[in-house]
Amino acid sequence: MEKTVVKTQNLVKRYGDLIALDHLELDIKEGEIFGLLGPNGSGKTTAINCILSLLAFNKGTIEIFGKNMTPASYDIKKEIGVIMQNVAVFEELTVQENIDYFCGLYIRDKAQRKQYVEEAIKFVGLEDFRKFYPKKLSGGLLRRLNIACGIAHKPKLIILDEPTVAVDPQSRNRILEGIQELNRAGATVIYTSHYMEEVEQICTRIAILDKGHKIAEGTKDELKSMIFNTETVNIEVLDLPEEVRKEIAALPHISGTDYEDGRLTVKCSGGSHNLIRILDVLRGHDTAFGRVTSELPTLNDVFLEITGKALRDKEE
Amino acid sequence: MFLHCFRYELTTALRERSVLIWLIIFPAVLAMLMNAAFSSIYEKTSRFSTIPVAVVENSPDPVFRSVMDALEDEEEPLLKVDYMTEEEALGLLEKGEVRGIIHTGDDISLTLSDTGVEETVLRTFTDQYVVSSAIIGDVIRQDPAMAMKAGEAMSAELSPCIEKSLTNGITDPFIQYIYNLIAMVALYGSILGLQISVNNQADLSPLAARKTCSPISKTVGVAASLAAAWLVETICIVIFVTFVRFVLGVDYGGSLGLVYLTSVLGGMAGVSIGFFAGASNRFSYEVKLGVSMAFNMTLCFFSGLMAGNIKLIIEEKIPWFNRINPPAVISNGLYYLNVDSDLHRYIPAMAVLIGMTLLFSVLGAILSRRKKYASL
Repeated sequence: MEKTVVKTQNLVKRYGDLIALDHLELDIKEGEIFGLLGPNGSGKTTAINCILSLLAFNKGTIEIFGKNMTPASYDIKKEIGVIMQNVAVFEELTVQENIDYFCGLYIRDKAQRKQYVEEAIKFVGLEDFRKFYPKKLSGGLLRRLNIACGIAHKPKLIILDEPTVAVDPQSRNRILEGIQELNRAGATVIYTSHYMEEVEQICTRIAILDKGHKIAEGTKDELKSMIFNTETVNIEVLDLPEEVRKEIAALPHISGTDYEDGRLTVKCSGGSHNLIRILDVLRGHDTAFGRVTSELPTLNDVFLEITGKALRDKEE
Repeated sequence: MFLHCFRYELTTALRERSVLIWLIIFPAVLAMLMNAAFSSIYEKTSRFSTIPVAVVENSPDPVFRSVMDALEDEEEPLLKVDYMTEEEALGLLEKGEVRGIIHTGDDISLTLSDTGVEETVLRTFTDQYVVSSAIIGDVIRQDPAMAMKAGEAMSAELSPCIEKSLTNGITDPFIQYIYNLIAMVALYGSILGLQISVNNQADLSPLAARKTCSPISKTVGVAASLAAAWLVETICIVIFVTFVRFVLGVDYGGSLGLVYLTSVLGGMAGVSIGFFAGASNRFSYEVKLGVSMAFNMTLCFFSGLMAGNIKLIIEEKIPWFNRINPPAVISNGLYYLNVDSDLHRYIPAMAVLIGMTLLFSVLGAILSRRKKYASL
């Protein structure tokens, strides 16, 4: 039976009249990369801060490694690595000194700490920058330093709160690969983001938050199966007779069709081999067609169908 | 764990550029400017010096001459006497080369062209001479054998017109500005104190939030930060005091060791005040720093940094304020070291500084100890 690493029950956090967390229930198992997905202001960071015992909450309980989490739970804190949304390093210390300082808060043995610091530097690829001060680092390198400071002591539970904000694609990929590597090495990971692609890419289980409320939870496939529209087929058709469109619409598992500007869009709900059946109809009527694409639903579609709004703001 | 944190807190503070600027460079520049502008004013304006005087002898007066000769033989003579004609004397008086003209003869009279300390001394001298010579004249008439003793008595009577200090310390008012400057550097330790709170309270910075998530207790973290800040402040203030003493050549009066001790205790109080101020509110570091600097400068103003006599006015109106205003306590402590022959006023002042350090450190620690935050 999988061990529970983090468990929150009925967690409620209010800021005056605003409910930031609305009876949040989480049960994060050992070895997972658990994603907390939601738009800005959905309560992801608030949940993390409550879990870390930084924020006081109004109601509920939090257990980590089966023990009640309090600000003085130093035995629990020893096993946690935290990478905050904002870069939290000393401007006056070099890369190596920063990692050594934070690692030293967890590891007393000097020789072991030295080894861990070296491994962390290599892990985030900052070997050539160990004597650099943070202000000399690019945004991506700074984020990597931020991560190194959080994971150098080899924690069993790693909490990453939007670690890839304002990071270049190269650094982002490196960070995501690194998280998966840490997970493979045995760490349980809680990962918050409003980038659904990242969450889809690395998370083994996902909870979607909106206005402090958990609206869905499961693997990405489980989440996608929750929604009505399971596949969208797009076909370039120069001339589509109306009777052909109607015949396609009448196929099983087809929930809707639309033809506009030489492009046929067919929405499918469940079933299999939908694309083959649609193309058979077009061929049967000698209707010429061009490029064909099939899109599976994204987590954004899941969020859109559940809440009626997009997961990510347009400007993002 | 304490040593690990202390080591890095110390490194961080020593590399902080604002510390170098506000705690060493700025006050050193200020001290140099003050030294250049004010250090010789007292010497030129207030300190007693020999008074040049012209003597016009309407008829020879051997007694007057012998008294003048005796006065000029002093190590630091009261008068520098030149004998000349009336026309020459008036010319020199007009040019300001002599402060007055003494006319001798049947009557002793004095001509002055101005009023001031030196003119007052001259008037007192001539008045006293007239009175003393009349008394001695009477004595000689009654007993001519007493002439020699009477002459000695007259010289002795006139000789006490010398500068006499009430203390062995430095009386140059410029030293008060230097004392206030040291007090200002001590109070600037509050910059380091502010950083302690910002780096240890999770609701004030992401860095503090990360530290709060670690398994180090808040008490150990804060104690390490405070110890490092005290040490950095001590280093800075010792450098400043040394610079003023040995580079600018300013004599503090009193024991140099105790001057260092006073400065260090003042600096520690400054750090603790800053720590408390930082922990007591949730404003950003920049706002805290701005308010703190303005507040510090106000306190320094009341201790006489910008206007020397303000502390005396406060001493008259609200004396208790000078006993608790940190820069006033520090500058007073240094002043007591300079002018007092013992430590009866110095020790209570230092006790106040130590009390402030303990009080504000404990209050700051209590405010920082808050375990969970309402918001971040």
